Formats: sequence, structure tokens, C-alpha cells
Amino acid sequence: MAQLVVENLKMYYHTRNGQVRAVDDISFTLEAGRALGVVGESGCGKSSLGLTLLRLLPSNGRVVGGSVRLGSDELMAMEEEAFRKGVRWKRLAMVFQGAMNALNPVLTVGSQIAEAILAHEKATKEEAVERAKKLLEMVGINPARYSHYPHEFSGGMKQRAVIAMALACNPEVVIADEPTTALDVMVQAQVLKAISDLRQRLGLSMILVSHDLSVVAQTCDDVAVMYAGKIVEYGPVEEVLVNPKHPYTQGLTQAFPDIRAERAPIVSIPGTPPNLLSPPSGCRFHPRCPLADARCAAEEPVLEEKGAPGHRVACHYVSKSGEVAEVKFA
Amino acid sequence: MTGAYFWRRVGYALLTLFVIMTLNFVIFRVMPGDPVSLILSPDFTPEVRQLLRERYGLDKPLWTQYLLYLKSMITFDFGRSFTTRQPVLGELLARLPNTLMLLGTSFVINVVVGVVLGIAMATRQGSRLETGVTGVSLFLNAMPSFFIGLLLLLTFGYFWPIFPIRGTMSVPPPTGFWPTVIDRIYHLVLPVTAVSLSGYGSWYLYTRNNVVGALGQDYVLTARAKGLTKREVLYRHAFRSVLPPIVTLIFLSLPGLITGAVITESIFSLYGIGRYLIDATLQQDYPVVQASFFVIALAVLICNLLADLVYGLVDPRIRLR
Repeated sequence: MAQLVVENLKMYYHTRNGQVRAVDDISFTLEAGRALGVVGESGCGKSSLGLTLLRLLPSNGRVVGGSVRLGSDELMAMEEEAFRKGVRWKRLAMVFQGAMNALNPVLTVGSQIAEAILAHEKATKEEAVERAKKLLEMVGINPARYSHYPHEFSGGMKQRAVIAMALACNPEVVIADEPTTALDVMVQAQVLKAISDLRQRLGLSMILVSHDLSVVAQTCDDVAVMYAGKIVEYGPVEEVLVNPKHPYTQGLTQAFPDIRAERAPIVSIPGTPPNLLSPPSGCRFHPRCPLADARCAAEEPVLEEKGAPGHRVACHYVSKSGEVAEVKFA
Repeated sequence: MTGAYFWRRVGYALLTLFVIMTLNFVIFRVMPGDPVSLILSPDFTPEVRQLLRERYGLDKPLWTQYLLYLKSMITFDFGRSFTTRQPVLGELLARLPNTLMLLGTSFVINVVVGVVLGIAMATRQGSRLETGVTGVSLFLNAMPSFFIGLLLLLTFGYFWPIFPIRGTMSVPPPTGFWPTVIDRIYHLVLPVTAVSLSGYGSWYLYTRNNVVGALGQDYVLTARAKGLTKREVLYRHAFRSVLPPIVTLIFLSLPGLITGAVITESIFSLYGIGRYLIDATLQQDYPVVQASFFVIALAVLICNLLADLVYGLVDPRIRLR
């Protein structure tokens, strides 16, 4: 069953220098109980995507087209007050990067969880406190720490508290934006395990936004690779990461050293991500792509299924049957 | 907050007070001129002069004078004024209510107007209203209060005489409780307006800038994502997190009010501590000046101490240290 359907979503920032096309014609479907990873470089629009879904854009960010359906509700057309009360956090919650600044330093951790419950449900103060304590326990934090302040928590505990907060109202979909960035590797592993366990137990659907392929590989069922505001490759996570077809995805996987393979120099993709004020014509990756030719600069490739079922890719150089040109980055 | 924290702060404050008292003693000893020559006509005979020196303790060695001075300061025995021959403490206390009324009222107005306006404008950052309010506030903040005071006197006391131009009450004073209260307020309108117009701006700017900064924090985004109302986000999260520095600033700026008193009371001819200090300085009335310095220093120290202690109450990160 499709839980969240995003179709042709476009969100632009209006700046003094023009429109920044941060989310440009993006479509995907999140099935109930599944996890979708969104990966890409900094500035590719992946965090803007999360903020768009929760309608938390800064004042210069506008949704200029497309639709987002959660169950049978069209989210982008809802009244703000109805959306705040009925959707935000209640049905669509977000895990922010908690190690940094997602918790208010002058309020107790527990009260910040309880207030989410009180904002959406007819619960008494005592009930909310009770539930917040249970949530803390669920993520492995002693409920006695309800009344402690964020500075008394370690980075990993803060992150787990932020996860507990996201689960406060039993949401249908959780969007996790870089939930493990800024944590060291050991703590990162614990947090990822906590996320996976909770997801299994509660049957949550999740969108995990990350720049880290290994995090997505570990936690997600599907993956969407974003480049310059667009999805360039989409499919089941093993399929996409084992048989990457788009030159950009190939570049990303090559940039990751394999701990079991022979030592090889890390290959990086030359160049920098494009300026989204005036993205390149045709395929947005063409200025950095070793395969690019005149057609790539002129004609935008369509994201379509090629070869394996469910594996969609937007590249002129991938044939209908899914044959891939081998890409070598200098 | 632990007891150790409290006592350490109190200890620092006492140490500072001691240093200030010592400086206060030294300043008046190194200033040119013998106190005796100031209160006497030079025609007195050397015998009388010597008698007076003994009477004021000036014949004793310096360190004895110092100890006597410390003792009298601590016991609030400030001696008698050279000019009025009245006990200094009594004169200070007689003027205190007027000063408190003027400064207390305008200080409360300053803080409340500044903070409330600052929060309101922080959410409208960049709008035409906000630009206007910020512009006017910056302008008024840059104007000295004496200038605003003089303009007010000229406009509402002279050209359009609806408010009194001097004093804290009518002469003769009205009888009865309510007539007295109304008369007092009537006399306070112009001075309070002058102090408030020139003083609210810094509170406004400070609050506005801090709340704008807090609204850009991740935890405010989290609060919005949680589906809290705008009000809850603004007050419970954004404003709550900037409350500690504002509370500190309130206590730290209390002593600065005394400078305000000096100027405003002079302009509006109010019978208060500020004008007392000015007059005493001009007449070289050392006991009064010395006592005023001591009282001001004491007020500054107490306010700083309170700021430290209250900060510990409103900011959880400060506790236990």
C-alpha cells in the first residue's frame, strides 16, 4: 500500500539573484513499512525535500508545482492550521540532527517530548509525562532522566531522545534528516540500530536523508539518488548500490572504499555540484560526466525503468535493457 | 545552585567592596585642598583651626583615619554635610523616594516596552512595520535623554503648558491621598517620558536581535515541526532561550540608572539623589560625595551579585558551577 506519494514536486527558493530550483520535478512512492534513502552531495536539495514535505520552508521557499499525498490527503493544498494540527508530527514526524542543536538548551528533554504529545492529543499533563518517560525507555534512556537538560546528555543520548520525540504521536511516516551526522562511528552504529529496531517493531515508514551511502545501505529498502534538485537514479537499495547505472551513482560508489577489497585509490568525481540558480541544460550532470556528448547537453534524460524491475535511471547512456557504459573518472 | 557557588559570589562581592572603599578613601586624601579650609573662612586663628582638625579626626595618623573611615562607612554613619550641617544619611533617605519613583517607573516602562516590542518585531523581521519601528528606536536611542527632556519641556511646558516644568509636587501640595497621588503622577509624566523615550531603544534592539537569532536555531525548527502554534514556538522556545541574558542585563543596568538620575533630575529640577550628588560635587561637599560614591558602589555590587545568582536560576547550564 502506498503511504506517501510524491508527484512532480517542485520547490524553488526565490532569492535576489533569481530562483534556486532546490527540488525540481521529483516523484517517488513510499510504501507502508518501507524505508527510502535519499542520498546526494551537500546542496543537492535533499534536506529541502524533507522541509517541503513538512511545509517548514523559510519564507522565500515556495512549492511551485506537484503534489504530495499522505494516505488520501493532499498535503500541499491543506489549510495551514489543519496541517499543523493534524499532520505535522501527528502523521509526519521528523528526526533532526539531534547531536547538534535540535533540543532547546533551556528546557528539559522530557518536557520537549511531552509538549509534542500535548500539542496533538487530548492528554493530561500527567499522561503526557508518563508517555514521554515510556518513549525515553524505548530508546534506551533511563526515564529518570526526564527532567534533565540537553547539556547533561551525551551526543548519542541526545540523538536517541530526538528519535523518541519523533515517535511521540505514533506517526505514519518519519523523515530522518542526517540523523547520525556529527556522531562518532560507534555511536552512529548504535543509533542506526535503534532506528532499525524501532522501525521493525512499530512498522514505521521512513525517509532517511543522508550524504552517507553506507548509512542508507544499512537502514533502507529503497534509495533515491539526488543530483542538483532531481532524482537521477531510484530503486531497491541492493540493486542500485551493487549495479549502479547512472554515471553519478557510479562515481558515488567508487568514492567509497571497500573494506574487504584490495587497496585501490579512492576516485572522486571532479568538479563541484552546479549552482541551482542556473542549472546546466539537458542532463544536469553533463559538465562533470566523462561520457557526456552533445545530446546530454541538449536533451534532458527521463527517469525511467531500465533493465531490472523497479530500477529507474535518468541517463541517455543506459540502454533500455539496462546496459551500462563503464564510467571512469580521471 | 549550590551553597558553594553562592558564598563564592558573595565573597567576591565583599572583596570588591573593600577595594572600592579603600579607593574612595584615597581619592579624597590625594585631592588638593584641606577639608578644613573648605568649611572655614581663612580668617580663623591657628588655634581654632587646630581644634577643628582634632574634631574631624584629621590630626590622627592616616591609618587610624582609614580604620575610622571603614567603620563609619560600614555602619552607614556618613557624617554631616559641609553645606547644610545635616546628617548625610538623612538627606539621602529623604531624597530616595523621589528618585526611586522616577527611575523605577521609567525603568519598568523601558524594559516592558522594549522587550514586548522586540519580540513582536522579531517575528516581522524585514516588514515595513519592523523597519519603521527599528529606525525610530535607533534614532531615539541615539538621542541623549537631556535633549529629549529639554524638547519635552519646551513643547509641553512652555509653548503648550499642560505639564509642570519643575518639581515633584505642586506648591502648596494638595491634601488627601488620591489628590496627592494624582499630583505626583502629573509631575512625573514629562521626566518619565524623557527617560523612557531615550531608554527603551536598547532593550528593544537587544531583545529583537536575540529573538531573531533564536528563531534561526535548529531547536526552533524542531518546535515548529512538532506542530506547536506560532505563539508556543515564539514564547516557549525562542523567547525562553533568550530570557537568561535579558534578566542579567536587567540587573546589570540597574546601577546605570543613577547616571540617568543625575541628568534628568537636574533638567526637571527634581528633589532627588542625582541632583543631590551634582550639587554636592559643585560645592565640594566631601562627606556627601563620599557617601554617594559608597552607596552607588554598594548598589552596583548588589545588582551584579543578584545578576549572577538569578542567571543561575533561569539558565540550567549555569547551575552547579
